[in-house]
Amino acid sequence: MLRDEPIPGEQLRRIDEEIRGNWPTGQAVDFEEAIAFHESLPASKRFADVLEAAEKPLLQPRAGVPRLDDQIDLLEHLQNAGQADLLPTTIDSYTRDNEYEKAQQGLDDARADGEDTLNGFPAVNHGVDGCRELIEALDAPIEVRHGTPDARLLASITFAGGFQSFEGGPISYNIPYTKEHDLEETIRHWQFVDRLAGAYTERGVRINREPFGPLTGTLVPPCIAIAVMVIEGMLAVTQGVRSITLGYGQVGNLVQDVAALHALRSLGEEYLGDDVAVTTVFHEWMGGFPPDEARANGVIGLGGMTAAVAQPDKVITKSPQEFQGVPTKEANAAGLRTTRQLVDMVIEQNVQLVGVDRELNLIQKASRELIEEVLALGDGDVAQGTLAAFDSGALDVPFAPSDSAKGDVLPARDDDGRIRIFEFADLALSDDVKEIHRNRLDSRADTEGRDQTFRMVADDVDAISDGKLIGRPQGGD
Amino acid sequence: MAKTVILGVIGSDAHVVGITILEQALSAAGFDVVNLGVQTSQEDFITAARDADAEAVLISSLYGHAEQDCQGFRERLDEAGLDIVTYIGGNLAVGQDDFEETRRRFRELGFDRVFDSETDPEDAIAALRQDLQIATTEAERHRVEG
Repeated sequence: MLRDEPIPGEQLRRIDEEIRGNWPTGQAVDFEEAIAFHESLPASKRFADVLEAAEKPLLQPRAGVPRLDDQIDLLEHLQNAGQADLLPTTIDSYTRDNEYEKAQQGLDDARADGEDTLNGFPAVNHGVDGCRELIEALDAPIEVRHGTPDARLLASITFAGGFQSFEGGPISYNIPYTKEHDLEETIRHWQFVDRLAGAYTERGVRINREPFGPLTGTLVPPCIAIAVMVIEGMLAVTQGVRSITLGYGQVGNLVQDVAALHALRSLGEEYLGDDVAVTTVFHEWMGGFPPDEARANGVIGLGGMTAAVAQPDKVITKSPQEFQGVPTKEANAAGLRTTRQLVDMVIEQNVQLVGVDRELNLIQKASRELIEEVLALGDGDVAQGTLAAFDSGALDVPFAPSDSAKGDVLPARDDDGRIRIFEFADLALSDDVKEIHRNRLDSRADTEGRDQTFRMVADDVDAISDGKLIGRPQGGD
Repeated sequence: MAKTVILGVIGSDAHVVGITILEQALSAAGFDVVNLGVQTSQEDFITAARDADAEAVLISSLYGHAEQDCQGFRERLDEAGLDIVTYIGGNLAVGQDDFEETRRRFRELGFDRVFDSETDPEDAIAALRQDLQIATTEAERHRVEG
C-alpha cells in the first residue's frame, strides 16, 4: 500500500537502474561522478543557495528550444538582455509524455533543417553531457521546468547533468495536465524523484524542488492552491528534500494575492518543519492574456507590483506575447525588464494595503481546513489522505481535466475581484468559510443585478483578456 | 423530454475550461449533457452517442490539431447509423487568421456548424434549439450565425 514513507535505499537503486535502462542516455548516469560534478560548480550556480540568500524577489522566465546551441543562445539573451536572476529550461511535450523516440525525431529534424517542431528542450535525449554543457555555458543557476507526470528518467538525467532545481509534483503535474494518469501511481513516481533529490541532498548537493502552484491556471482559489503546495511539500520532505519553493499563481486582486503569498509562506514553514528551507514563488497571471502587447504589459506590470509588495523569493515572469503562445526571446526579455522596473520602483515604498490581514486569516483558515482533512482522511498518512481526499472531492481543483479529481468546484470573483468559491461540491470547508464566500458573491450579484450563476464564472474566465478583472455584464447584453 | 447532447475535447487536447462552462450552460438550458472530458477519441464520441441515444455531438478543440483529429468522423458516424447533429468549436487551426476558410474546411469534414473560440455558450444553445427544432424565442433565433 502507498505510504508517506522514505523509499529504502535498495529499492531506490533498483528503480533507478530499471528507469535508466529504458533509454540509452540513462546509462551515462553515475551518482558518485555526478556528485563530483556538482561540487565542481561555482557558488553562483548553486540554485538553492542563490535563491535562499536573495534579499529581494529573483526573476525567472520560462524558455526552452530543442537544440543545445539554440538553448544556450536563448538563455544568454535572457540573462544579458533580460537580466534574469535564475534561468529555466522548459522541457518539450513529447518528453512530458515519456515519448523519447518522438522527441528524438523532433530533435533530429531541428538539427537537420532548423525547423523547431518540438516546443521545448528534450533533456533526456541531450543526455547528461548535453545538460552539463548547458549548465557550464551560463552564469546563473538553471531549473528544469516541465509538466511530466512520470518524471523519473528526466530527474535522473538532469540531476546528474548538473541541474539543481526541478519543478513539479504528484498532484500539480497530474491533475492540471492529464486525463488518465492514476494519482496513486503519480505519487509513487514523485516519491522516487524526491528521494533522488534527497540522496543528492544527503551528500551536500541540495536539489531545490518546486511544486507547481498555479495548478489549472484558471481562477484557482488560494486555499486550494496552498493546500496542494503544503501537501506536496510534506511528501517531498519525507523523501529527504530540504529546499522547497512553494508556488502561487497571480489572480489579479492585489490584496488577495499579497495575503495568499503570506499565507503560503507561513503555512509552508509551519507544516514543513524547521530543518527545511521554505521559499515561495509567484507566477505572473497564468490565465488568458489580452491579445495586445501594450495591455499584456499592464498585466505583467500588476504582477511586478504585487511581487514588490508581497516579496516572494522568486517571480516567474510572463511575456507581452503570451497571447500568441511561445514568445520571441526579445519579448521574453521584455517581460523580465517590465517586471523588474515595477519591483524596483515599488519595493522600497513599504506599501501597506488595507484588508490584507483579514484576507490572510480567511485564506489561512480555509487552507488549514483542507490540509487537516487530508491528514485526517489518511489517519495521519498524507499520501493515503491525498488519495482519499481527491477521490471523495474533499480536495478538488477547478477545471481539472484529470479523472483523478472531481473537478466539480467552480470559482468566481467577488465584488472586489477576489476569487471565491461559487460551487463547493464536496470540498472540505467549514460552514463559516462557506458563508463568507457566499456572502461575498451575493454582494457581487446585487451590484450586477443578476443571480449567482455559472455565467459569472464564464465571464470571469475571459475578463482579463477582455481588458478587465471582473466579468461584469456588458451593456445591451 | 430533454434532449441529450454529447460534449468533449477531441484528440490529445487537455483544455477543459471551455467544455466545463458549456456543460453548465447546456444543463441550465435543460439539456441532458454527457461530458466526456478532455482527450476523447472519435470512438469514444461515437460509443457515447449511441449509448445515450444522443441528438447532437459537440466537439471542442483548442490546440490546433482538430483537422487531423476529426478526419473520417462523419463517415464513422454514418457507418454506425447515427444520424446526428455535429458541431465543432474552438481554436481549430494553428494561426487561424481566416476563420471563414477554417469553417469551410470543417463543413467539408461534415460538421453542421463550426464556431470560433469567441463564441458564447448562448449562441451554441440557440443553434441547437434551432437544429433540434426545440421551441425558442425570436431573440435567440437572431443570434444564430454558426
